[in-house]
This record gives sequence, structure tokens and C-alpha cells, in this order.
Amino acid sequence: MINRRLLLLLAAAPIVLPRAAFAKGKPAPKDALLYFVWPQDGAVIKGAFWCRFGLRNMGVTHAGDNFQNSGHHHLLIDVNEPLNPEEPIPQDKSHLHFGAGQTEARIELPPGKHTLQLVLGDADHFPFVPPLVSKKITVRIK
Amino acid sequence: MPAHATAGILHGGAKVWHCRRSRIAGEERIGQNAPASRSFGDWQAFGPKRVHSESIGSAMRSDIRDIGSGKNAGAPDSAAPRRLAAIIAGDIAGYSRLMQLDEEGTHTRVKRITRELVEPTIREHHGRLVKTTGDGFIAIFDSPVEAVRCGIVIQQNMIGRNAAQAKPHWIEYRIGINLGDVIVDTEDVFGDGVNIASRLEGLANPGEVYISGGIYEQIKHKIVCGYESLGDRKVKNITDPVRVYRVLPDPGAFNRTRARRQSVLIVSMSLLLLAGAGGALWFFISRTRGQLPARTAAVETAPAVKGPTESLPAQPPPQATFPQATFPALPQPAPAAIPDAPAAAPPAPAKLAEPDMITLPGGTFAMGSNDDSTEKPIHQVTLKRFAIGKYPVSVREWNACAAARACAFTATGKDEAPITNVSWSDARQFAAWLADTTGKPYRLPTEAEWEFAARGGTRTKYWWGEQLQPGHAGCKDCTDVAMTELPDKVGSFKANPFGLYDMGGTVDQWVEDCWHKNYQGAPSDGSAWTEGACPSHVLRSGSWRNDARYVRPSNRDSYDTDVRYPTHGFRIALTP
Repeated sequence: MINRRLLLLLAAAPIVLPRAAFAKGKPAPKDALLYFVWPQDGAVIKGAFWCRFGLRNMGVTHAGDNFQNSGHHHLLIDVNEPLNPEEPIPQDKSHLHFGAGQTEARIELPPGKHTLQLVLGDADHFPFVPPLVSKKITVRIK
Repeated sequence: MPAHATAGILHGGAKVWHCRRSRIAGEERIGQNAPASRSFGDWQAFGPKRVHSESIGSAMRSDIRDIGSGKNAGAPDSAAPRRLAAIIAGDIAGYSRLMQLDEEGTHTRVKRITRELVEPTIREHHGRLVKTTGDGFIAIFDSPVEAVRCGIVIQQNMIGRNAAQAKPHWIEYRIGINLGDVIVDTEDVFGDGVNIASRLEGLANPGEVYISGGIYEQIKHKIVCGYESLGDRKVKNITDPVRVYRVLPDPGAFNRTRARRQSVLIVSMSLLLLAGAGGALWFFISRTRGQLPARTAAVETAPAVKGPTESLPAQPPPQATFPQATFPALPQPAPAAIPDAPAAAPPAPAKLAEPDMITLPGGTFAMGSNDDSTEKPIHQVTLKRFAIGKYPVSVREWNACAAARACAFTATGKDEAPITNVSWSDARQFAAWLADTTGKPYRLPTEAEWEFAARGGTRTKYWWGEQLQPGHAGCKDCTDVAMTELPDKVGSFKANPFGLYDMGGTVDQWVEDCWHKNYQGAPSDGSAWTEGACPSHVLRSGSWRNDARYVRPSNRDSYDTDVRYPTHGFRIALTP
């Protein structure tokens, strides 16, 4: 009896689960690469700087545009909490969004060490599955 | 055969631009994803371990500024920002010939076309005319769909304008559209994205629109037009070949071109096959054995021959891709994704429930704070009397606008919940619709009005005092139980001294002002601080997903003007 129920449950699972657990985020191509064109890890920078975003094997598009293999940039500044793949990438002063398809941004940070990391978001600002993120780099502002 | 193609054939020889918007219902997302467990593991692997020992205090973190690139015009001396844009290059074919024919007349006509057709069409499609030359223009668009639509509208209108003229006097544009990462200046736009657009324009025949592969990829499921691939073309001074597509007036035209090509191909192929089969048959018969292979070949060829002959007679001549006289209106481009409602939908119910408004007397107050560099300097602002929404605009209120086809989409969600996932432009559309239907000057509040209203006459950090108190605002850490989702209804927390709800927390709220990184140079009369079409606007209030710092009445943030985000909503204001 139990076996039967289990079987039934298993049969039903694929119908129910995609909505519940896997509903968020699009798959990204395996060879996609998100990286900083500038600055490089460990860079020492004076004042404000242009942060340039690099993306290989995928395309940059506007937020809201739902196309295969494309997304828009998000820059995470001094963010230490892990990103929740079930939620849209947060929007606040340390999660900067570039939904108009920007590929660079002028960034001004207070002196000291800061971490920068890029995350690619899909049309609805969700991270891809698995998340497409750049290496987390550290810069020092003089 | 897809439904739209059938429609195109029905139109048959009616030479009209027949593109229309397709709707992709639902998302392919479901079921396509890799197992979530794996992704989660990967995610955590990169997670919080690389934390740097320098604990950067939250106060410092809030000092983070970004300027430039669609966020702010804060660094005037630095290079212009790069951005992704759809670039239209248009140019009049045979301009010098036309000028020779009738210099003054041509000049006047071109000027009139630019003023009456080109400029307004670009504006209607949310584009920006970057520059005009004697016989051409360059414009940029955020959206490839809008860009292509704009190109089609221009071509379509030119046909009507030319209809009254003799052929030698026709003014015909060639149009090329490309998607590229370009440098946008106030007066010009640079980059090979622009060069490719003008090369495409050069390839196009008069009256036609050529698009690049990049544009095609973005629009193919959005505008149902015919697209004829012209393959990869090498263009001058560009290293890599560019894939070129010709935009055909209607899907039927595409089928006609394809049918023509296919029939030629199929007929020649079947002739070859028949010849081969015949040869084989003769060979085998002559040897009086092994007839089987020949029979199979004959069977194979039969339907192939039948195919084209059946479909051929019905096809009108494939050229004449452009309409000569009639041109029915293209589907209205303005509201982005209005559901397929019957055409005769009533514009708006006669009795409209207007939002609850609270009129404030105005007065002088100290705007800003020293808590964050964006909120400095604190400055005096004097406001006139104004009214502001008691609550953020609700889903129900928004959907009334959507039902009237004046707002871009119909929202799902509880009726009394605040509307979310709206861009600044969406919010403006709603305010404009409300003003239109009521005849009252409804609008978005200015940033100064918003802060004045949010402070409720207080000068403390929060409107209720200096300390965080549960129940006063809806934010991530403002309540006893952490908020994980949007409240079911507006006004779920305490009202401020002015009787206004959700002035801080619940949903981010758009205001009229362009984003400026601080108050240096801000107006002191409470008016909106704007400068034309700015790339980003001011958000106030913070949302349920932000922490308590964002709930402060002086807190301000920015976001791209045309981008939607799930925590962004708005409230409206009114000049009494």
C-alpha cells in the first residue's frame, strides 16, 4: 500500500515540483563567463572609477526582455550575504541594477577596501540557474 | 503553419504592411531548469567565505554611490557612458537627384517629413532622435521592438505621402537598424554599432527596412512580420560579416518568397530525381533484374512533384513587397503589453473610484539628513498646498487603468495589495490616465512633497521617533516577525501624523524627480527637479525587502526609468 502511494507521489512530483521548487531563474549556458574588464582584483584606485562589466558566451539585454541566453548586469558592493536563488536579486544601495543594458558604470566609494562582484540577472531579475556570477574582487580606494 | 502566416496569405496580394505584435504566453522557464538543489550547492560554494576581515560598517556601506551610466550624471568631466541601444539609421534614396529636380520643393518636403513624421514617430516609440543630416537621421531606442516598429511606421507613412506624387518625385527612405553597445553623447552617438546601422541602411532598397541579426534575435517572436534572411554580408570597415534580414511587409510575403524559392528548388530536385530514377530504371530493365530500387525512387519523387504545383497558382507575384496605396494602421504601439481585449472595449467606466487623497497645507520644512551622503545637504524647502494619496496605488486601481487600455499590463495579485513591478514610465502612464478620465491634475508627487508628507511634521529619524518600533512600517527588520512577502493590502501598518499609510516601507515609490546624487543645486520651492528625459528617477520609501535604514523619510534611492522591479510601486499626488 505504502509503495503504491509512494509511486503515485513520485508520478505526481514532476507535475507539481517545477512550479514550486524550480520555478525561478533560467538556465545559463555552461561556458558563460561573467568577469570584470576593469578594475582587476587587488587594484588600488584613486577616487571614482569606471567599472566595466564583461560577459562571454551570453548577451546583455534589457531587464524585462525574455530571451534565451541573455540577461542584465548587477553589481554587488561589499555584499557578504549569499544570494537567494529563489528571490529576485535585491535592489538597494549595495546591489546596483543595470537593467537598461549598461555594460559599465561610474562608481564612487569611500576610501578603504571594498569587494565587488557581478551577478547576471534574467528578465525578472532572478539569478540564473546555476547562478552566473563573477569572481569577487577586492579593490582599495585611496 | 502558424496562425499568423495563414492570416498573411488571406491578405494575399493586398499590398500592406501587416506586421503585428505576437504575444508569447507564459514562460518557457518552467521545467527547463537544472535541479535547484545543485544550483543551491554551487551558490553556497562561492558564498560568504570570501568575506574580508575589514568589517565595513553599514553606515559606510550606505555611503556607496554610483554615478553615471544610467544612474546619474554626476561626473560631467568623465567619458560619456556606454550602453546597449537599438540604432536606426535612415536616409533618403536619391536625395541629390531629387534636389536637382526641385531644390526648394524637396528641401521643404523633407523638412516637413522630418517634423511631422520622423520626429513624432521616434518620440512615440520612446526613442531619441540623436541627429539629422540633410537627407538622413540617426535615432536610438532602448527597445529593438520599438525601433523596428518605428522604422515600419515611417516607411508605411511615406507610401501614403508619396501616393499623391509622380514617381520621380517620391521621397523614399532606406532604413537600417542595428543593436549595439554604443557611446551616447548629448549630440551624437558613436561606436561600430552605429556604423553597422548606416551600412545596413546603405544595403537596403528604397522604402525598405534592413535589420541586423542582433535585432532579429530580439524581435522575431515579438513582431510578426516576414523576415527574409539575406545571409552574412561583409560591410565596409567592419571586420566581421553582419547577418542581414530584410523586413517584409507581412508574413504572407515571407511565405511567398519562401514558396518561390522552395518551388524552384523542389522542381529542380524532383527533375533530377526523376532523371536519376529514369536512368536507373532503364539500366535495371535493360539488365532485366533488380527493379526494386527504381520503384522506390519513383515513389519518393511523386509527392515532391505534387507539392509545389498545388501551391503555386494561388501565389501572387512575389515582388511588390511594399504597399502602393492603402496602408492600414499598425497596431498601436503605445501601451506595451495590453491583453487581447475585444476591440470595442469601453474606454473607461463612467464612474471611477478615485483614490483616497489627503490634502496637506504645505509649509516650510528641512529636507534631507546627515545619515547618508545622498541626503545632504539639509536644506529648507517651502511647499504650496497639495494632496497626496492616502495609500500607495493598489492593484485594483491599477487594473482599472489596464482595463481602459491606458496602462501597460494587467496585474495579478490581491485587489487591495499595492501595485508592484512598475517602472517610472508605467507610473506616469497611470497618473496621466487618471488625470485624463477625472479631468483633475493628478500626477506623481515631487520628491520634496513626498518627504514633507512622509515626515508628517516631525524632524526625527523615523516619523514616530528616533528608535525603530514594530508595527509602524513594513520592512525586512521593522516587524517582530521578519517580513518575507509583500503585505496583502495597502495600509497594513500605522498611519503617520498626517494620516498617510506606507510612507516608508511596504513598497518603493516613484516620484517625479530625476535622480541626483545629492541635494547640491536642488530647488527650494518643492517643485520636481527634472531635466528632460533622464535615465533614472528617484525612489522613496524602501520596500518590504529592505532593512530599517530605507524606511527613514529622508532615504532616497534611484533606479532606471524604464525598468520594472518587483518591489517598486508608487502613489499619486494632486494639485488642488
